[in-house]
Amino acid sequence: MREPLLSAQGVSVRFGGLVAVDEVDLAVHAGELVGVIGPNGAGKTTFFHALSGILVPTSGRIVVVGDDLTGKSAHAFARHGIARTFQTPRVFKEMPAIDNIRFGLEFAGRTRKHAHDAFDEPEAILEFLGLADVAAVPAGGLTPSKQRLLEIGMALGARPRVLLLDEVAAGLTHTEVELTAQLIRRVRDELGLAVIWIEHAVRVLMDYVERVAVLHQGRKIADGDPRAVAKDAGVIEAYLGDEGEPAVEPTRKAA
Amino acid sequence: MSRFTLRDSILATLLAALVLSAMPWLMSDFALALTLTCLMYAGLAVSWAMFCGATNYLSLATAAFFGMGAYVTAWGAETLAYGLAVLLGGLAAAVFAALVGAAVLHLRGAYFAVITFGLGELVRHGITYYEKAYAGTVGRVISDPPETVTIYHTVLLLTALAVVTALAVRASRLGLALRGIGSDEERARTLGVDTRRAKVLAFSLSAFFPGALGAAMAMRWTYIDPLSVFNPFIGFQTVLIAMVGGAHTILGPIASSVLFSLLTEYLRLQFPYLFLVILGLLLILLVLYLPGGLASLLDRWRWGKSRA
Repeated sequence: MREPLLSAQGVSVRFGGLVAVDEVDLAVHAGELVGVIGPNGAGKTTFFHALSGILVPTSGRIVVVGDDLTGKSAHAFARHGIARTFQTPRVFKEMPAIDNIRFGLEFAGRTRKHAHDAFDEPEAILEFLGLADVAAVPAGGLTPSKQRLLEIGMALGARPRVLLLDEVAAGLTHTEVELTAQLIRRVRDELGLAVIWIEHAVRVLMDYVERVAVLHQGRKIADGDPRAVAKDAGVIEAYLGDEGEPAVEPTRKAA
Repeated sequence: MSRFTLRDSILATLLAALVLSAMPWLMSDFALALTLTCLMYAGLAVSWAMFCGATNYLSLATAAFFGMGAYVTAWGAETLAYGLAVLLGGLAAAVFAALVGAAVLHLRGAYFAVITFGLGELVRHGITYYEKAYAGTVGRVISDPPETVTIYHTVLLLTALAVVTALAVRASRLGLALRGIGSDEERARTLGVDTRRAKVLAFSLSAFFPGALGAAMAMRWTYIDPLSVFNPFIGFQTVLIAMVGGAHTILGPIASSVLFSLLTEYLRLQFPYLFLVILGLLLILLVLYLPGGLASLLDRWRWGKSRA
């Protein structure tokens, strides 16, 4: 079997007595688009912090393309090709949009090449995202939905092998969500990335991913085909228990 | 400023330095002394802004670096060539900044400001103790100092070098990393910047100039003691000048150091008893109504022109 690009092995994160992430295993391969869902407080974002080196897991290992990066700083993860976005967009507000994109190209992605060079220029990435006309605008002056797009661009600038998306659809209109989902698919297809996508608004995600993992109270309770996961008794229980709405049914056949 | 390329800006700096280098033969002693003060503060403020302006750190360590440089001169005056003393003064401050930076640059805001201020005091008291215990003196007289013209040219060279370095840093990857750190340090890390290394490197680089300037100015003062060269006002004044000028720019701190030095001198002569009060009021007004510094005036003016 191919070596996974990113693999979390028995990862736990504890804050004092609270277990935020509990013995989670997850491996992703090149070209995979994996969704991670779960009710509020399930530990999704904490898990992402561990995957991107922002938090050091209390136990377990994180292996990136064969290298054990457990305990390394976030910049080591970035240089190994892990790029991410944040729930609340964290762009460099004072810098022009184009410099936000250039940042990753100059640092994390400096020694790597993209699968093809369409994304090796900051201008090309902005163009791809439809942000070419705001290249010179300081990022803080963009609308929230454009900042979200720009953050995806920042991650693409890092020439990633694995893209971690933390609720990129939150706060977007329905049309914008669809467009973002299509965009994510396109970068995955064109660049052969592995993408892990966390979302609270589960429906869109279930339509677009080929595999979904469910976190509940820090544990992974399901991992597999979205249609199978949606029927899983434990998953329905977790969502019903939490919000009384089993929102995980896909509306469309995943293509 | 962004309309000029790096080469244009460096050429302009060198040209300005060339013109200023003729001043000792054109100016009165008084005007020359004033120009020297302007140049010293310009060098201090530009090197301070090189690190602090981009990263949004507030360092009060300038006085510590300056004093260390001055003491390298004082201790080495009889054995070292003048140029070598200046170089060593800068290097001593840079090494000290790298060591200290590695230990405290993870702190931010008020914590970092207080720590760097404390450092200056620590070095000052350390040197006072050493001088009393082992040298049996508090102050030192520098015998046989170089001519004023030589000191003027040294300070001019150091300040021009500080400006050129600041320009080069700003245009480099290090400059981009520092701006990222100033905006959101953790975000910069997730995009591959070893932020600790970048900060220590830049902090150390920015400490070279106050160290070297301290070494050069000690020769002019001819008598130095810990209180005069580790004077915390040198540190405060540097920060004020840089902030009033606009710490995220290079031209701002230069303009502001000229303005400051001239204003201080003028007020001191015209209102010998009130000048600090007036200066203080002006500062408060500037900070209240021009938080982006003098550099923001230029931006506004350009903006107004482009709209007209």
